[in-house]
Amino acid sequence: MVLEDVIGIAALLIDGISRGFLYAILGLGITLVFGMGGILNLSIGVFMVVAILIVAELTGMVPLALAMALAIVLTAALGLGIERTLLKLVYRSEGEERLLLGIFVTLGLALAMEGAIALNWSGPYSVHLEPPSWEIAGTFIRGRSLVVIGLALIVLFGMYLFFSRTKVGLATRTIMQDETGARLCGINIDRMRAGIWTLSIAIAAFGGLLWGISSSADVGNTFALTTIAIVVAIVGGVTSIVGVVVAGVVLGVISTFLTAYGSTYLASISLFAIAIIVLLVKPEGFQ
Amino acid sequence: MNVNWDLHRVTLVGLVLLVIPPIFFTQGSRTIPRLFTLMAIMAILTLALNIVFGHTDQLFLFTGAIAATGGYTTILLAEYLGVSPWFTMPIAAAIAGLIGALVSFVAARRGLGIIVISILTLALQFSIVELINSFRDITGGSTGLRVTSLTIEPLAALPFLDNQAVLYYTTAALLVALLLLYRYLVNSKYGLAFEMIRQDEDAAESIGVNVAKYKIIAGFIATFAVGLVGPLLAQRTGFLTPTQFSFGQIDVIILIMLIIGGLRTMYGPIVGAVVVVMINEQLREFGAYRLMVFGILLILLFLYFRRGIVPWVTSQAREYGIVERSRELISGS
Repeated sequence: MVLEDVIGIAALLIDGISRGFLYAILGLGITLVFGMGGILNLSIGVFMVVAILIVAELTGMVPLALAMALAIVLTAALGLGIERTLLKLVYRSEGEERLLLGIFVTLGLALAMEGAIALNWSGPYSVHLEPPSWEIAGTFIRGRSLVVIGLALIVLFGMYLFFSRTKVGLATRTIMQDETGARLCGINIDRMRAGIWTLSIAIAAFGGLLWGISSSADVGNTFALTTIAIVVAIVGGVTSIVGVVVAGVVLGVISTFLTAYGSTYLASISLFAIAIIVLLVKPEGFQ
Repeated sequence: MNVNWDLHRVTLVGLVLLVIPPIFFTQGSRTIPRLFTLMAIMAILTLALNIVFGHTDQLFLFTGAIAATGGYTTILLAEYLGVSPWFTMPIAAAIAGLIGALVSFVAARRGLGIIVISILTLALQFSIVELINSFRDITGGSTGLRVTSLTIEPLAALPFLDNQAVLYYTTAALLVALLLLYRYLVNSKYGLAFEMIRQDEDAAESIGVNVAKYKIIAGFIATFAVGLVGPLLAQRTGFLTPTQFSFGQIDVIILIMLIIGGLRTMYGPIVGAVVVVMINEQLREFGAYRLMVFGILLILLFLYFRRGIVPWVTSQAREYGIVERSRELISGS
């Protein structure tokens, strides 16, 4: 009896950690862009769904792994196109005005893209990757959770190496800390911003695919995905990359256990409540 | 003859609102009255946002949730107490107002910037809507509650009037009341204080303006007004559901209305509400494109047309001396 409980909790913990890594990746997508240029990307959820849809469209034509890779590349390319045309206009303004403009322009972008998607696609979509699950003492360890953990770890570790070991990563962290200082050091902020935005969209696309593997995403409700990403970024401290990863894992585990022992509503209300408390206690990151 | 233009314009708006039903409403039709009621409701919500966001830089992104608070509190409390919802409406509005005042208080106390307030209220928006969804036994969850009791039977029984027209007139009366309050605020010491706080909060504080007090007052007034029209929004459709108060249905739309009409203008919210409701109506046949159009509209407005229709028309009128000329015409000189 006790053993079954322990295994049950362990299985839940694995699901929670898998959800946590996924959250961490979404939060990272928000944090990178906000830290770099002060834009709170309210359209991140749409890009996640775009990646899932590309895989869905390519399924049957090419192998799944190739479809996923193509989805990430194509979504990132779309993101780059939007950065070069739309966000350039946002970067013309400074300070608080830019923050506000960023919120409204990406919100408009989210609505416009969601509307465009809704013309052709609707309902829940997922990525059909069905690894076997293990049964231990009457409890299932979901194979999907393990796949998500594995893939997320690879990417998060890659991110860690990128930001700690490469010159570009160092430049990114410099801009996040001090934009003027970075410019004085000869960093091309415009190009870096475009690069980091594209990277964040690629991360969002990857996060979208993980989401599609572990559950399904409603094409008509991308804002739900965006809000999770923002909550994680808030709790993680918005400009700290490590903080976001920790926040993602903690929130993922909390939300999984609350869903299992309470309800989905309880889980999402708790996430918002935590975000509100963090905002009130430590609002500095957004000021 | 010295004409008080400002007050005359409010009277004019009141008259226009008054004659809309005899001209446009046809007996038995529900579509047209609902459309005008929607315009008036949205104008009130936008005016509220204008007060709190336009004048005190507190970007409240939970108007939908506050309207829902007003709506659900009114209906559920009336059911619980066994009284008419007309009695519980002001109580619900007061609760909504207290939530707004509390947010403003905390924001002022903690020195939260406009971005933090917007994200904070956005999180509250989703929490409140989820909360309504989760208490299915009381709120009916996503299926909602039927709302038909916000009527005034003796009035509706009068000739030329029906329930639709009475609801419209109720909303229109609230709109005029809020316009008068707005006019009073802007032209009084409150308006001065709001302007100072907006331009330089520290400077205002340093010469003795109680910044927190004015922000709380603005927060209270705005959310009180929003809470008051929440139940009317439900009465209009006959149902109280969480979706009709969602971020996309209310907050995004009134932001567009406010910017189109003109931030920090008295009539901008009305102009914006009329224009956006009409655009929405035109797009009805192209339902699928509606979301896309609003998204593009939001982007273009914020990038290129942040001044809005009312300030634009005013500056054009000034350029061609239209105001002076018509003033001369009226005074007969």
